[in-house]
Amino acid sequence: MSAYRLQQGGLVDRRQPLTFRFDGREMQGYTGDTLASALLGSGVRLVGRSFKYHRPRGILTAGSEEPNALVELRTGARREPNTRATTIELFDGLEASSQNRWPSLAFDLGAVNSLLSPFFVAGFYYKTFMWPAAMWEKLYEPLIRRAAGLGKASTEPDPDSYERAHAFCDVLVVGAGPAGLAAALGAGRSGARVILCDEDFLPGGRLNSDRREIDGIIGAQWAREAAAELAAMPNVRLLTRTSVFGVYDGNTYGAIERVSDHLPVPSAHQPRQRYWKIVARRSIVAAGAIERPIAFGGNDRPGVMMSSAVRTYLNRFGVAAGHRAAVFTATDDGWKTAIDLADAGVSVEAIVDARNEVTASNKSAAKRIGARLVAGGRVIETTGGLSGVTVKDGSELVQLSVDLLAVSGGWNPTMALSTHIGGRPRWRPELSAFVAGEALPPGMALVGAAAGSLGLADALREGEAAGAAAAESTGFKAATPTPCRADDEQTGVAAFWHVAESRGKAFVDFQHDVTAEDIALANREGYRSVELLKRYTTLGMATDQGKTSNVTGLAILASLTERSIPEVGTTVFRPPFSPVSLGALVGPHRGRALKPTRFTSGHAWATERGAIFVEAGQWMRAQWFPAPGENDWIESVNREVKAVRSGVGVCDVSTLGKIDIQGADAAMFLDRVYCNMFSTLAAGKVRYGLMLREDGMVFDDGTTAHIAPGRYVMSTTTANAAKVMQHLEHARQVTWPDLDVQVVSVTDQWSQYSLAGPDSRRVLERLLGGALDVGNEAFPYMACAEFTWRGVPARLFRISFSGELAYELAVPARYGDATIRAIMDAGEEWKIVPYGTEALGVMRIEKGHVAGNELNGQTTAADLGLGRMMSTKKDFIGRILSQRPGLMAPDRPALVGLKPIDRAARLRAGAHFLPLGAEARMENDEGYVTSVAFSPMAGTWIGLGLLKNGPRRHGERVRAYDPVRNGDIEVEIVPPVFVDPEGARLKG
Amino acid sequence: MTVARLKSISAFDGAQFASTEGVAIRELDGMGIATVLARKGQSSALAARLRGRYGMELPNGPKLTNANGITLLGQGPGTWLALREGGGNEFALSLRDAIGGLASVADQSDGLAVVQVSGARVREALCKLFAVDLDARAFQVGDVAATPAGHVGATLWRVEDAQGCASFGIAVHRSFAASFRDHLVEAAR
Repeated sequence: MSAYRLQQGGLVDRRQPLTFRFDGREMQGYTGDTLASALLGSGVRLVGRSFKYHRPRGILTAGSEEPNALVELRTGARREPNTRATTIELFDGLEASSQNRWPSLAFDLGAVNSLLSPFFVAGFYYKTFMWPAAMWEKLYEPLIRRAAGLGKASTEPDPDSYERAHAFCDVLVVGAGPAGLAAALGAGRSGARVILCDEDFLPGGRLNSDRREIDGIIGAQWAREAAAELAAMPNVRLLTRTSVFGVYDGNTYGAIERVSDHLPVPSAHQPRQRYWKIVARRSIVAAGAIERPIAFGGNDRPGVMMSSAVRTYLNRFGVAAGHRAAVFTATDDGWKTAIDLADAGVSVEAIVDARNEVTASNKSAAKRIGARLVAGGRVIETTGGLSGVTVKDGSELVQLSVDLLAVSGGWNPTMALSTHIGGRPRWRPELSAFVAGEALPPGMALVGAAAGSLGLADALREGEAAGAAAAESTGFKAATPTPCRADDEQTGVAAFWHVAESRGKAFVDFQHDVTAEDIALANREGYRSVELLKRYTTLGMATDQGKTSNVTGLAILASLTERSIPEVGTTVFRPPFSPVSLGALVGPHRGRALKPTRFTSGHAWATERGAIFVEAGQWMRAQWFPAPGENDWIESVNREVKAVRSGVGVCDVSTLGKIDIQGADAAMFLDRVYCNMFSTLAAGKVRYGLMLREDGMVFDDGTTAHIAPGRYVMSTTTANAAKVMQHLEHARQVTWPDLDVQVVSVTDQWSQYSLAGPDSRRVLERLLGGALDVGNEAFPYMACAEFTWRGVPARLFRISFSGELAYELAVPARYGDATIRAIMDAGEEWKIVPYGTEALGVMRIEKGHVAGNELNGQTTAADLGLGRMMSTKKDFIGRILSQRPGLMAPDRPALVGLKPIDRAARLRAGAHFLPLGAEARMENDEGYVTSVAFSPMAGTWIGLGLLKNGPRRHGERVRAYDPVRNGDIEVEIVPPVFVDPEGARLKG
Repeated sequence: MTVARLKSISAFDGAQFASTEGVAIRELDGMGIATVLARKGQSSALAARLRGRYGMELPNGPKLTNANGITLLGQGPGTWLALREGGGNEFALSLRDAIGGLASVADQSDGLAVVQVSGARVREALCKLFAVDLDARAFQVGDVAATPAGHVGATLWRVEDAQGCASFGIAVHRSFAASFRDHLVEAAR
């Protein structure tokens, strides 16, 4: 193994080596490694290039806050850019590559940006690309977009699946470090339902990284036993590899479980990730704290690493991150790193403590490990990659030859979740850190380092107490606490942010390449509000959301403006805490499963007939049925229309909304929701109805059948079925709660087929076989009936959309398939033809029946030629507002029919009407074409449109101007009925 | 011309629900199903009539009651779903005879697709469809929820445990059956 992997120690399994590749080079790690620890163990220090200056970068941290070590993980369709090497669990065959470098990581041409760095200062985009403005869209933005961004996402479809799941609990514990484990035990032992989430694959938090003891047991062992006890409790769910990323209203938490991210390929039927929506009565945030860097010259070089991360690699992964180390610290915690390194055999050259006072025990520790102690010292510069650091010791500059510099600048409690629904953090001067404010999300408590309690004993005590309290408050009896005893420690920390004497760039935000000088420049240019500073410098706006940089940036601005940190402002976190893949949010609802698809009972039959289907809302409807030899849709549609008009056709109309309306006041209710009269409709009759919105515009149309005394069935358009149902429920429950009326959707209960054409009665007679007399006398136009047919309850309506003699037969949906087959059998003698929505559309245009294109929410009943339907004998929804002057204006565009003067010309829906000879300008606009079709009956294209003063202009010619498709033709205005204007066929 | 009875095709068309370990899914076909909507001010009269005629209580709230082969599910204020195993389309007619005047009855025997889902891992599967707390203490035998299953509107209820495992009924509108089945089967894997 390499000289960096220790012979023993750590929580990796040296008996299970794993092979992986980085930038094509094969390397080895162990089960239990992260990609970061395996790279360090293999001696790799240079991992990527920085965003703006292409500076060489290594691994800064050992957690999800990592700003530097971003790699492209996997290849092909599974390639994921900007993945943090510190959070990737190593698996055999893993492939990763560095980003933002060309042609190679070691020799990167983009590094020239570093030489040009005087131009890449804060506000660079705003200053450089301001003028001329016209260049922005075509030149600057594409240029910036190409240069910016680090890795590249795969453009292939994601081969993996994602899941969405819901969980409910009494107590949610976020973080399975010592405080979180203690909290989960405290709550779990009471019987409360507990969910414990940790983003790591190994519970324990810092217990796995530090050499600590609890109750005389090694910390990592204690964590393992605690996790095992929790896993054995039936009331506890332990979710590792799970990040709680957001807090929402209603005690709701969002979490992502990385189910298969640690596997080369997810196993069968396992999702890649699972998105949990967790509703928790109480939550305990034990998310720990993030160690913050110090801004000093060259603090971004590979080999400069957070002190706590150095210990993690050493103690958890058995990797020495260097051979000759120095420690630059403002905390007692940094000293632990020096001691651990020395105990592991790494030479510790110096401990540079920014504090002037060093405790006696620290002094003796320095002596014991043979490290030079520089009290009140500063690191001002680094060299190589890493080969040395320059330390200021009083007035003296000391060169140290080291390949590892551990930095400890204090701790920022991870209290992000406390601010997601409006909480503001509070500054704790003695910690030099923000902690959660007073106003917390309902039911939330923070414990341990997340609450600013940095000592292990405090974390354990607070965790257990919070767990027990949360359980008690949700009705459980917590066991008497059994306090754990932790060994003693020092947790001293000084506020130290920035080495003013720095030489070279001192980075604050590593991921966005924002330096201390950028902040100073922003301040000089007047951007002194923290919100402006952030946007001007892009500090904290990278994918790490400033986890390691926000507070430091704030502190530097405070010092420049001679204000206190809380005076400058706070940093508030929004969800998500860490990046969430869109795939996980979408879950299973992708592709065809984006929305549910609805099928009629006749779908299988139509498929057998070779139907071409069209999506109508969520429904699949047959659009046309190509016959053998037909190559063009218009051929099929013309044939279907001609067959209906000369013989008989059948169409599945099951998708139309059907609403069952009953109750003593049902007729009165219909009078109020339709603009025309329904209370006069006798049982056994159907009437066409027009519904207005409250604002007086037309809402929907359809028929309502008085199917049996006191029972009505309303039909709606397919598109508006759900909206009409809502409208009726609102009218019934809110507007007129005094009425006795009940409504329920029965759309799915009935399969309904329209039989249309002069031969339809003959087919029906054959089909029904005497079950119902359908003769013209017994069953005239607009009749309806309930009857029993072949042992099933059926309904028949004599209504027509095509303008032909027509019937609609409804049967319970389970018989829908058998019924369409029976209709086809019965119609064989008359050469019955199935037709789809296209033929239906042609025939309704031929008859001038309005549909969705005309019922577009902008038309009144009068506009559609239906003004006389509005009853003057009753009140109805929309009556008052339909009388507004604007809606009564006589010159409003109203429904007309159109024919091209050149009979061969094609009409286009959407074309605008202009007077002949008028210029194509908005002032001359007179309306537009709403619907067009090729009419096989007329032998030309025909159309419907809304034209100013339309009904009084029959016989006139206008221009139909269509600049989008270069259409400009002359059309004749005609009455909007092209076939059988007297309606004789309906009643035949 | 034959006048044979029309062939009945169930909502899931006899589709085999891929059986997975711990989750058993079974279509309940041929049930008589009807919506029962109380007439204005007639809820107590309706309750009394049901008690007299069927010996069953009218559920108050999202609960179910059953007696003599009939189940009533509370779906909303004044709204119930009545089920009768094997009742077919005749069930709604007989119900209308029994309670007409006190409630509006509409046949839904074909409008709803109904499955029974049970097994040791049933809650693991259903938590991927329903945003409802299905814990044994939170959602007890006899509880009902009118709630989406994924993107499909559904009615969910819990029946007596089957072979020691929790068991649930789910009804969705028939036209959504295929989409619902795909999601349910995937969730059960």
